[in-house]
Amino acid sequence: MSEITSTRAPGPRGRASVSDPAAAPARPRSSLKTWGPALLFLLPAIVGLLVFRLIPIGWAFVLSFTSWRIFDDIEWVGLANYTHILTSPLSREVLGNTLWFTAMYVPGVMVVSVTLAVLLNNSLRSSAFFRGAFFLPYITATVAVTLAWRWIFSTRFGLLNHLLAQVDIDRIAWLADPAWALPAVAIVSVWKDAGFYMILLIAGLQTIDPGVYEAARVDGARTFRRFYAITLPLLSRSLFFVLILALVRSTQTFEITYALTNGGPNRASTTLAFYIYQNAFVHFEMGYASALAYVLCFVIGLITLLNFYLRRRWVHE
Amino acid sequence: MSDTLRRAPALIALYAVLLAYASVTLMPFAWMLITSFKENRDVFRLPPSFVPTMLYGAEPLANYTEVLTRHDFLLYFRNSFFVSTMAALGQVATCALAGYAFARMELPGKTAIFALILATAFVPTEVTIIPEFLLMRSLGWIDSFLPLIVPSFLVGSFGTFMLREYFASLPSEYGEAARIDGAGPWRIFWRVYLPLARPALISIFVIAFINNWDELLRPLLYLNSPELRTVPLGLMRFVGEFEAEWTLLMAGSVASTLPLILIYVLGQKYVLQGFAGGGVKG
Repeated sequence: MSEITSTRAPGPRGRASVSDPAAAPARPRSSLKTWGPALLFLLPAIVGLLVFRLIPIGWAFVLSFTSWRIFDDIEWVGLANYTHILTSPLSREVLGNTLWFTAMYVPGVMVVSVTLAVLLNNSLRSSAFFRGAFFLPYITATVAVTLAWRWIFSTRFGLLNHLLAQVDIDRIAWLADPAWALPAVAIVSVWKDAGFYMILLIAGLQTIDPGVYEAARVDGARTFRRFYAITLPLLSRSLFFVLILALVRSTQTFEITYALTNGGPNRASTTLAFYIYQNAFVHFEMGYASALAYVLCFVIGLITLLNFYLRRRWVHE
Repeated sequence: MSDTLRRAPALIALYAVLLAYASVTLMPFAWMLITSFKENRDVFRLPPSFVPTMLYGAEPLANYTEVLTRHDFLLYFRNSFFVSTMAALGQVATCALAGYAFARMELPGKTAIFALILATAFVPTEVTIIPEFLLMRSLGWIDSFLPLIVPSFLVGSFGTFMLREYFASLPSEYGEAARIDGAGPWRIFWRVYLPLARPALISIFVIAFINNWDELLRPLLYLNSPELRTVPLGLMRFVGEFEAEWTLLMAGSVASTLPLILIYVLGQKYVLQGFAGGGVKG
């Protein structure tokens, strides 16, 4: 470590900090004495960063080029895992499921959460109750509510088919029919998460100056016009954030799938994150699972980059 | 928008939509609750009945007592409480120390460390969980609570970020004054700044508690012995063994959501603030 930088300018935040030695240039202290406390404070975080973040990220990357069932020897296979992911019908089916799930989940949560946020962004006293009710699914135990849904989806005795029968819709084998299992997972996921995005959007709506609406009303703009011309553009920053969160989350569903369908019937509701779990911890194919995890990471990175690229076109700064 | 709403038809339409969606969000809870007060034979009746028959019987809570005692859920609750409390305390401790150091202390390279802590939070769990599992396995920590608690004492990007902002927003004069009075870095942190951060600390504790209570993946990977099961794991194992016991299962499910609903109602302000501030898990 070098000598202490006693002439160091105030930090990038432009705020003099507690231990800033600039105040006493005549008494240079040892670097350990200056930095020791900070190092101690940060020790757990630094150890955690190394042991549970950086090293695992690197380790998983190395593993992704190997074939390793946990009980056998590690075998270097180069890019074989990745080419297998791209060519095998099984993983293609899983990637297709993931895409289909995203296509249901993201528009679902966006439409519901924007609608609810706009409807609740007022000073009516009842709005606090509704906000609480809509956020409740997000806060409660995932496995418990998913099991309640599993019972609601039951083909013969389930509440949902009973309600649908009232409007002459035939029984649907929600969890046993390959066509419906993934939509069922999407329904529960939208039900659970929409309230969370709603809260983020309400926070965004509250930053809009009411005077803008007032001016628009004086100019004779009607409700829907005001929504398109004012609310959406001024909300676009929050919408952007929510969209990225929703897209990323849509690739990571695990608990709901596990408790509702366990990826079935066959593989009809197996999405990428669940497939990684199965490979790693049911079949113990650590190498292949690591490669899948890196594909997931790549997909998430791509989504985020694409969004930041498109952001300039539609986010109103 | 609120002035148009004053017109009655718009107001009625608004309430119709809100009530309709409220019934969608609350329906699964209601159905879970009703089912938990039914006898098992009433569950398999058509059409489904909305009457919680047991409530009128001699032992209205029979499903609950059975699931809690005969099926060991009382033990699972104790396990979940222990794990979630310890992990949440760990989060608060680590994030407070790190957030404070990032905001108020000097260390070469601390900006880079902070950036790494934030950036790696966006790497999906699926990537890190495999090496994490291998690490726990080689440490011999499988089938103990350690893998569920120790990482919380070391990693917490969201909390660190939140507390860094919080500590940076407090005036530095308090620390200066304490330093002139001869207080060391630890004393300044412990006696001056930490008490001021109480709201943020509560937010982080509550969110960490909820997240850990809800965790399924790690208990699934790390816990084998039945007596170590957490509530979510206990529920899943119960479904596996007694698929048709919906009344008991729903009683267990209601019981497992109650602590979270209670925390949510009591600490709603902290919960909403915390989640609105990012809500990134871990």
